[in-house]
Amino acid sequence: MATHDQRGLIAVFYGSIVFFSLICLFPFVLAVSGSLSTESRLAAEGYSLLPRGFTLDTYRFMFASKATQIFQAYGVSLFVTVVGTISAVLVTTAYAYVITVRSFRYRNWFAFIAYFTMLFSGGTLPWYILATKYYHLDDKLVGLFVPYLLNVFLMYLQANYFRSIPHEVTESAQMDGAGHMRIFFSIMLPLGRVGLVTISLFYALQFWNDFYLPLLLVSDQNLYTIQYMMYSMMANIQYLASGANTQISGVVIAPPLESAKMAMTCLTVLPIAILYPFLQRYFVKGIIVGSVKG
Amino acid sequence: MNKRKLWIVMLLAAAMLVSACSNGNNGNPGGATNGTAAGETGSGGTDVGLAPAKLKIVLYGEESARMRKLSKSEFATIVKDEINAEVEFQFLPWTEYGGGKTDLMLSTGEDFATYTDTNYMVKSVSKGLYADLSSYIETAAADLSQHVDEASFKAFQLQGKQYAIPVGNKPNSAEFYSVLVRQDLLEEVGMDSIGSLEELETFYDKVHEAQPQLVGYAGVDARRMLSYVYTDKNLYWQNEFLALDESVEGDEVISWFESEEFKAYAALMRGWYTKGIIPKYAATNTPQLQSDWNSGKAMFWAGTAARPFEGAAAITEAVPTAKLTNYFLGKDRPQISRGTYSTAFFVSANAKDPERYVMFFNLLQKNQELYDLFAYGLEGTDYTLDANGRLTRLSSDELIPDWLMMNKNFMRFSEDVPDDFIDQYKAWDDDAIISKGAGFNFDNGPVKNEETKINGVLTEFLAPIASGFLDYDENFPRALEKLKAAGIDAYVAEYQKQFSAWYAEQN
Repeated sequence: MATHDQRGLIAVFYGSIVFFSLICLFPFVLAVSGSLSTESRLAAEGYSLLPRGFTLDTYRFMFASKATQIFQAYGVSLFVTVVGTISAVLVTTAYAYVITVRSFRYRNWFAFIAYFTMLFSGGTLPWYILATKYYHLDDKLVGLFVPYLLNVFLMYLQANYFRSIPHEVTESAQMDGAGHMRIFFSIMLPLGRVGLVTISLFYALQFWNDFYLPLLLVSDQNLYTIQYMMYSMMANIQYLASGANTQISGVVIAPPLESAKMAMTCLTVLPIAILYPFLQRYFVKGIIVGSVKG
Repeated sequence: MNKRKLWIVMLLAAAMLVSACSNGNNGNPGGATNGTAAGETGSGGTDVGLAPAKLKIVLYGEESARMRKLSKSEFATIVKDEINAEVEFQFLPWTEYGGGKTDLMLSTGEDFATYTDTNYMVKSVSKGLYADLSSYIETAAADLSQHVDEASFKAFQLQGKQYAIPVGNKPNSAEFYSVLVRQDLLEEVGMDSIGSLEELETFYDKVHEAQPQLVGYAGVDARRMLSYVYTDKNLYWQNEFLALDESVEGDEVISWFESEEFKAYAALMRGWYTKGIIPKYAATNTPQLQSDWNSGKAMFWAGTAARPFEGAAAITEAVPTAKLTNYFLGKDRPQISRGTYSTAFFVSANAKDPERYVMFFNLLQKNQELYDLFAYGLEGTDYTLDANGRLTRLSSDELIPDWLMMNKNFMRFSEDVPDDFIDQYKAWDDDAIISKGAGFNFDNGPVKNEETKINGVLTEFLAPIASGFLDYDENFPRALEKLKAAGIDAYVAEYQKQFSAWYAEQN
């Protein structure tokens, strides 16, 4: 039975949690309501928590000629996120493992080489040349995730998790005749799964939200991801509306501007919003496992 | 033990490969791939025996479903038949126009062509990124040259070399010098035309009284349309900072913001802003204004020759009775034209076969048949023509953008455009003069820093005064101080120097 004091404290905690969740929720609710409002009332009266003049016109406009394209883009995004995350986690943990193996003489060199790329990068132009002229990643599905397979920061994060596993564990495995593959897959990965969960989350979000790789590497519409489609629709609407190019100012296209932005936001956020409650369980579990192990 | 080492090496190799890939630091110099491609033409422009070629045309905006289909079927066939080339269309978001990915593609020596404006041309030519197309005009662009104005070609020349091929030919003198008025509203309040600022403001007052929810002017820049009111000079702007007076001879460049005319203009705009003709939200949300205009919520806008019919389609969706008419607030000076082109295509410096690209541009404006195909699609499927040659489009999907193609020799009007309007439109340029600055391209190299800085001052300090959001008397002295500190004097001096030299050559 909680004392009076504790009850007060709990009330304060709950109160502040509710307050902060409302702050976080507020813009999202505005976006949903905005996407369901009529453009004219949105322009005249601004945003509100409930849709102004409820209409599905914006969604109709977006799906009208693009339904197949939108679903295809969802498919590409999903593929890139799933396959990209799995491959990235594999590559990252492998590198992290290598630089933590004590018996490997050059591990510091390899750690440094990776670290170096965090400090100095060649810039966009050399990157673009490398990706298109040498690796030929342009207009290919692999081009949408291969360039992101090793995030050095996440690799170091994972390496630190590996380092926290007592050396004696791997040593005794070696004495029992285990090779590096076995140690890596049967010992390091299961013991380092807290880190795995963390970096997977980071990678998955990165792949889902990315529009930069498709922008630079893809010209085939079949390979557009949902984020890039949204980005390019938005970019066009904004550019035309701003009248930045007077050459084309004569062309008057009237897409539902504000409401369209909001509808696009909802469409991109939707899958993550639906999946998150289910995935959250695993994240929490992963973190608890870590905390118990210390 | 060896086996273990092997595993480690393999893991490392795989990881290294992607690490290098994700950070792009393995030291490949930028221009490593700039091989010089040998020309494969050799046939001197005759269509006989052209070797097969591949062309990549970059367009900006969204690719419509119909465009996607046609570009793989009819467009491909016709281009193959005409110039024996395989053409691929790539669509990029508008944000990549004149920079972004276009820059990347140019710098890495990709083989493609797309459109440009004179500013981007000057910038890119100084880096050697555009191919010189001078020698192909006569051989490969013979048809196009007949349908595109000569002044338009001049606009895309630098040091006598043709770096881009203009397309389009439409009356476009006095762009934004007229007021595009909602004629239906005008008639509703018992007026029939507008010929002065007073009449325009009376129009606003009357409509505002009847329909207070409507916005007056759907823009924040009215320096051109109001020039009939605040000055006797015939001002023509070279850029945001500099203007020419076309009513006098001579090469004097006017620093717009430092002029008395700007002061008078700012006072007018301040009046509009305080009166509510320009809505208060315009200060923070300029793009909203165009959306307001399109949805029929504004009384007038800046006009061009084509806007009465180009813009009508969007507005009539919201207000079926809407009619648009151009009016000038004064009649005492000739209309100024920059040339009648819509835009111009350049070819990247590394293109294997620049001549074939020019041949492709030629197809776009070659004859009525090809124009119809590229702009409107297939007759019967995408559009129909009535007995008078009026066009009804059966799908709203855009093909090769209308604004780009628009040539008065070929373009078709929809049946709701009145005949007298078409006559008016075609005669729009009749008394126009070509600007004395047309064809001059400023090389901003020597004053690049100044230009960047004064542009910053423009956005932060000058634009709010020019749009009437801030009072001139209170705020201009500080803005001028900033402008001077940013180096406007050096900028104007350099511009004047280059312009005078060019002007002397022309006369």
